[in-house]
Amino acid sequence: MISTTVGSYPKVAEGAYTTKLIGAVTKWQRKELDDAQLEVVQQEITCAVIREQEDAGLDLLTDGQIRWEDLVTPIARRLRGFEINGLSRWFDNNVYYRRPILRTAPKRTGPILVEAYTFAAACARKPVKAVLPGPYTLAVMSENRHYASLKPFVLKLAELLNAEAMALAQAGAPVIQFDEPALGFGKPNLKLVLEALRVVTKGVKAKTALYTYFGSLDGALASLMRATVDIIGVDVVSDPHALRELKRTKVTKALALGCMDARNTKLESVSELHRLFRAVTTLVSGDRLYVNPNCGLEFLPHTQAQKKIQRLAEAVRTFKA
Amino acid sequence: MLLTTSVGSLPKPEYLTTARSQARKGDISPKALHALEEQATREWIRKQEELGFDVLVDGEQYRGDMVAYFAEHLGGFQQSELVRAYGNRYYRKPIMVGKVTRATPITVEWWTFAQRLTTRPVKGMLTGPYTIMDWSFNEHYPSRRAATLAIAQVIRDEARDLERAGAQYIQVDEPAISTRPEEMDLAIEALGIVTHGLKAKTITHICYGDFATIGPKLRRLPIDQIDLEFANRDFELLEVFKGMRFQKEIGLGVVDVHDHRLESVEEVASNIRKALTVFRPEQLMIDPDCGLKTRTPEEAVEKLRVVVEATNVVREELSAGDSRPRKMTRSRSTARTRT
Repeated sequence: MISTTVGSYPKVAEGAYTTKLIGAVTKWQRKELDDAQLEVVQQEITCAVIREQEDAGLDLLTDGQIRWEDLVTPIARRLRGFEINGLSRWFDNNVYYRRPILRTAPKRTGPILVEAYTFAAACARKPVKAVLPGPYTLAVMSENRHYASLKPFVLKLAELLNAEAMALAQAGAPVIQFDEPALGFGKPNLKLVLEALRVVTKGVKAKTALYTYFGSLDGALASLMRATVDIIGVDVVSDPHALRELKRTKVTKALALGCMDARNTKLESVSELHRLFRAVTTLVSGDRLYVNPNCGLEFLPHTQAQKKIQRLAEAVRTFKA
Repeated sequence: MLLTTSVGSLPKPEYLTTARSQARKGDISPKALHALEEQATREWIRKQEELGFDVLVDGEQYRGDMVAYFAEHLGGFQQSELVRAYGNRYYRKPIMVGKVTRATPITVEWWTFAQRLTTRPVKGMLTGPYTIMDWSFNEHYPSRRAATLAIAQVIRDEARDLERAGAQYIQVDEPAISTRPEEMDLAIEALGIVTHGLKAKTITHICYGDFATIGPKLRRLPIDQIDLEFANRDFELLEVFKGMRFQKEIGLGVVDVHDHRLESVEEVASNIRKALTVFRPEQLMIDPDCGLKTRTPEEAVEKLRVVVEATNVVREELSAGDSRPRKMTRSRSTARTRT
C-alpha cells in the first residue's frame, strides 16, 4: 500500500512553519516584493510542507501546490489564449476560484510547472508526483468563447497538457496525476473524457493517474476503468454510495482510495481506515493500492491537515490484511 | 407597495474598522469598541431614514462574518486556525465540537438598541441553520443532517426571542442553500423548524446558484419572502419565475454589490418595471442584491440612494396608472385583499 496526498496542503500554519505567505503575497500584489522575493518565500514553505509529509511517513509526496490559488488558474494563466475572470464557486465548496475565459486558440509557449517540480523533487528525500488539472475539468471550469463546442476545446487542452506531462516526466516525475473533479457533477461526456485521456497520456514516460473527487461518479466508474491511465483515484467519502459502486466494478487499474475526509476536521480512527483498506484489498492487491485523503488538504486548517496525514501513515503502517 | 429595504450588512466606517483591529490586539477595551459600534449603528439608522428606506437594518456593525458571529455566541463551537477562502483571503472556520446550545439571546439586545432609534421597523437578522452547518466543520454530529437540525433548534429560539422583543420582520439568511441541490430538502426542513409558529414576516436571502435546479423548490420554502440577487446576472433570474405564478413575496435585488459601478436611477427603474411583468407590485420589496459590507461607506450610500430613487420613480408611475403591468396586477391584487 502506498500512502500519498491528492495535491494541495495548507499554505499557512500558525502553530508550525509560518503564516508569512499572506503578507508576502499582499506585498507582491502591491509591487513591494518582486517575483524573485516571493519565490524565496514560496520555496521555503514548499520545503516545509514536503518535510511534514516525510515526517508523517507518507510514501509519495506532492509539492503542496503552495504557488496555486486553485487547480485551474496556474495552467490557464500560463497558456496563451486565456484571461482570468472574477470569482466563481469551486464545485460544492464554500471556496472560490477565478474563472478562466478562453478568447483565442490556446497555445503552450513553454514548460509551466517543470521548474517548481524540479525544486520540490530536489527538496524531498522521497518521490514527488506531479499534479495537473485534467483536460475535461480545465475546460468545463473555464468559459469557452472561442470553440463552437466543448469537444475541440477539451481535445486541444489535452494536447497542451500532454506536452506539459511529457516535460514533467522528463524532469523525473515518477507519477503524473490528472485531477478530474468535474466528473462528479452533471452528466459528463465519458466518450470525450476517455478520448481526452488518451491524448493527454500519450507517450508520457511515467505512471499516469486519473483522480476523481467530490460529487458522485454515478455509474461512470466502469467506463473510467477503460481510461489509458495506470491509476484511478476514487473518493469514497463525498459520495456515500461510492464504495458500493467500487465493489461492483471490476478494478483493472491500480486504485487510489480517497479514504479520509479532507473537507472536515473530524479525524478518522485507525480502525475505520483499516475497515476500508480491508474492503478494497479484496478488489485490488496491496501493491496496486494507493491510499490518500479524498481531495487536497487545503480545505483544512494546518493542524488538522497534518493530523490527517499522520493518521493515514499510521493506519498503513499498522495494517495487516 | 414596493417597500424598500437592505439585505443586512452595511460597511463599517473607518473609525470602527480601526477600533476593531485595536480591540483584537487589546489596545482598546471591549467597552470602548462597543460604544463605537453603537455610534456606527446610530449613524446608519439615521442615514437609512434620510435616504427614505421603509424597512431598516441595524447594519451589523458589531458582526464580522455572518456564520462566525453566531458560532462565537453559541455553545458547541470552536474557532479554527486559518483556512483559505480564495486568492490570498483566509478566515477562521468554526468547528462544531459539541452539542450546539444557546445560553442567552444573541441578537435581541442589538435589535432592541436599533429599534429604539427609529419608528420604522428594523429587521431581526439571523443566519439560517443550513448555512451555519455548511460553513462550519462538524466533529460532533453524525451527519450533515443531524448538525443542521440541531442548529435549527437554537436559531428557532433566537427567532422567537426576536419576535417577543417586537420584531415585525425576521430574516433568516441561507446563502448556502443554492450550493447543493441534493440537500435542498434538508434546508427546507430546517428552515421550517425556525419559522414555525412565527407571526412576524419571515424573509430569507439566498445567493446566486443553481436556480435551474432549485427554482421549482423555492415555492416550498417555509418563508413569506425570498430575497434574491437579480442585478448581478442582469435580471436573467426572472426567467425562473416566468409562468410559474409564484405566490411568495420576492426581495428584488436591484444593485450589484460586487461591482464598483454605480447603476443609474433609470436603469434600475427599468429593471423594476421588467420585474413587474412577472411579479405583482405588492409582492415585491426592493433592495440591493446582497449585504453591502464589501463596499466603502460612500459607495454603499450611493447604491442605496439609487435603490430608493428608482423605486420612487416606479411607484409614481404605478399610482399615476400609466403602466400596463400595473393595471393588470392591480385588479388582481384588489381581488386578493378582499378574499
